[in-house]
Amino acid sequence: MKKHNNIWLTVDTVLKVVILLAFIFPFLWMISTSLQTLEETMKFPPTILPEVPQWLNFVDAMTSGPFATYARNSLIVTISVIIIQLLVMIPAAYAFAKYEFFGKNVLFALVLIAFMIPGQLTFIPIYLMMADWGLIKTLLPQILPFMSNAFGIFLLRQYFMQIPEEIIEAARLDNANEFKIMWKIMVPMSKPALATVALFSFVSHWNDYFWPLVMTDSNEVRPLTLGISMLRETEGISNWHIIMAGNVVLVVPILIVYLFCSKQIVRAFVYSGIK
Amino acid sequence: MASIEFVNVTKEFDKKEIIKDLNLKIEDGTFTVLVGPSGCGKTTLLRMIAGIGPQTSGAVLIDGKDVTDIAPGKRGVAMVFQNYAIYPTMSVRENIEFGLKNNKVKKAERTELVESISAAVGLTDFLDRKPSTLSGGQRQRIALARAMVKKPSVFLMDEPLSNLDAKLRAQMRIDLIELHKKLGTTFVYVTHDQVEAMSMADTIVLMNQGLIQQEAPPETIYHEPSNIFVAQFIGVPPMNIDELGVGGVKFGFRPESAIGSTEAGTTPFSIRGEVVTREMLGSETLYKINYKDTSFMIKSLEDRFTVNQQVYVSVPTEKMYFFGEDGNRIPTSHPSYSSYIEALRSY
Ligand SMILES: Nc1ncnc2c1ncn2[C@@H]1O[C@H](COP(=O)(O)OP(=O)(O)OP(=O)(O)O)[C@@H](O)[C@H]1O
Ligand SMILES: [Mg+2]
Repeated sequence: MKKHNNIWLTVDTVLKVVILLAFIFPFLWMISTSLQTLEETMKFPPTILPEVPQWLNFVDAMTSGPFATYARNSLIVTISVIIIQLLVMIPAAYAFAKYEFFGKNVLFALVLIAFMIPGQLTFIPIYLMMADWGLIKTLLPQILPFMSNAFGIFLLRQYFMQIPEEIIEAARLDNANEFKIMWKIMVPMSKPALATVALFSFVSHWNDYFWPLVMTDSNEVRPLTLGISMLRETEGISNWHIIMAGNVVLVVPILIVYLFCSKQIVRAFVYSGIK
Repeated sequence: MASIEFVNVTKEFDKKEIIKDLNLKIEDGTFTVLVGPSGCGKTTLLRMIAGIGPQTSGAVLIDGKDVTDIAPGKRGVAMVFQNYAIYPTMSVRENIEFGLKNNKVKKAERTELVESISAAVGLTDFLDRKPSTLSGGQRQRIALARAMVKKPSVFLMDEPLSNLDAKLRAQMRIDLIELHKKLGTTFVYVTHDQVEAMSMADTIVLMNQGLIQQEAPPETIYHEPSNIFVAQFIGVPPMNIDELGVGGVKFGFRPESAIGSTEAGTTPFSIRGEVVTREMLGSETLYKINYKDTSFMIKSLEDRFTVNQQVYVSVPTEKMYFFGEDGNRIPTSHPSYSSYIEALRSY
């Protein structure tokens, strides 16, 4: 019996290590490549570790284009999207979770349908509309279409529904208006869900490549992802070490944010019953 | 301070009538206890007074004014919920303060109120703790303090003691009676525990299936129940009831009114039966007595009988109750009353 357990424990551990490696290997490869010389990146068989870490690769990457502008654009777009989304999602989710009103189910179904439509279907009309409004030279085409987040509304609604009705009624008896109930009661009680939604939003907009590629036509409004992709071709050869250095720069903020949010996120999934 | 009045109130949930044409007046400053079995509509009534579950038709008046269009927070009503409904992300202080802040009470006054109320309920040491770190009894006191601090003119309490252990519950019962004396405001208290109802109420409103069965002081409810339901709801164990055998009339007597003896009694109701169970409860003993094809509970201060023993049970005439076919109690002034008494002899 004991032996049997040991075997399973070993299998379990081995599987975990394999999965871990599968996830972490590309990541380590990226970091390693970002520190190699051009010759090293093209050697066969490939070298795992750089002989001498080439820290200057980062400087090269960041000086080969207007990276300060790219970074600024990425930050402005991502942060505005998150803030606007929270402002839209919280009241929407509160209404869907705690109010009875005419057409509620139809409206919620619309939200879920919106959740399932990929951006690749809507980008042309949206681009034309933005161009029509003369906004292509601004960051707005990267922000306005994402003011609402159907997945976020769905997740927050699930979370709000679990908050007992009596707490809201107690607040009404305490003479709190609906606005206060939302911000002083619902929001503090839903921090894990809010952190999760905000993080998902952050990752998907910070990493977004397709949408800004379509919606921008000048470096003034391009985000980091596009800037880094433009590192790819210089003088006819792929500068993999420089590209990877750019990618490391792109990924670091996500790691930092994730470290801050991970605990809250796990809690959100446990609570909302998705996990 | 305020009186509360229900005028022809009905309440439906999903087209099902839960409260049927209810009329009730709760006098200013009284301690009124709503009591009844689970699901009879007690919470529903409280929620109508508070304005968080409005009536389907009819009117609720507070101090003679129809409050249908007045928001819950503006009715001068505070409520202690069945599950407390404490704000979990706020500290104890913030919980108590929340209503005051919303009512735009100045900071200095707020602090003073919170301190004095929390001292009164014994929460001073916990003001900066989160509710999740406190015990059930302490949370219950947060809920009380949160209601008290607003100085409401009506205090609604929905089974506030149901989650406490027996000892703490007994203590809180006394505290609440004292609180009512001190504040002198109108208390409406919901429970399905008849001991709580009997011990705290000025007036008991006994409900069943959305209908008021009787509205009277505890003594009256106990001594003059208006029907079989009331007679059997109040009292532990419930009143013994059986067919008299005359025109569908039933008779009843309380276990504590019966006298057990080894000698035959002289009252009209006197039977000889066999003890089938004996429960020694400390100060008193309960016996279940089999008689013919039925059985009666009797309660005795002395522990005199053993199981299988043959005993006589008699009940003084003035402690006998009679109920008509409709379940309502037949008053002693009823013309046939004495004939019912006589009928007991041939039971
Ligand atoms: N929101 C609701 N939707 C549908 N039915 C409801 C709702 N609230 C209460 N009811 C029904 O109304 C009836 C009375 O409920 P209420 O909560 O007033 O009972 P209660 O007397 O407080 O019972 P308890 O002692 O168990 O708390 C019950 O049959 C209940 O099922
Ligand atoms: Mg109830």
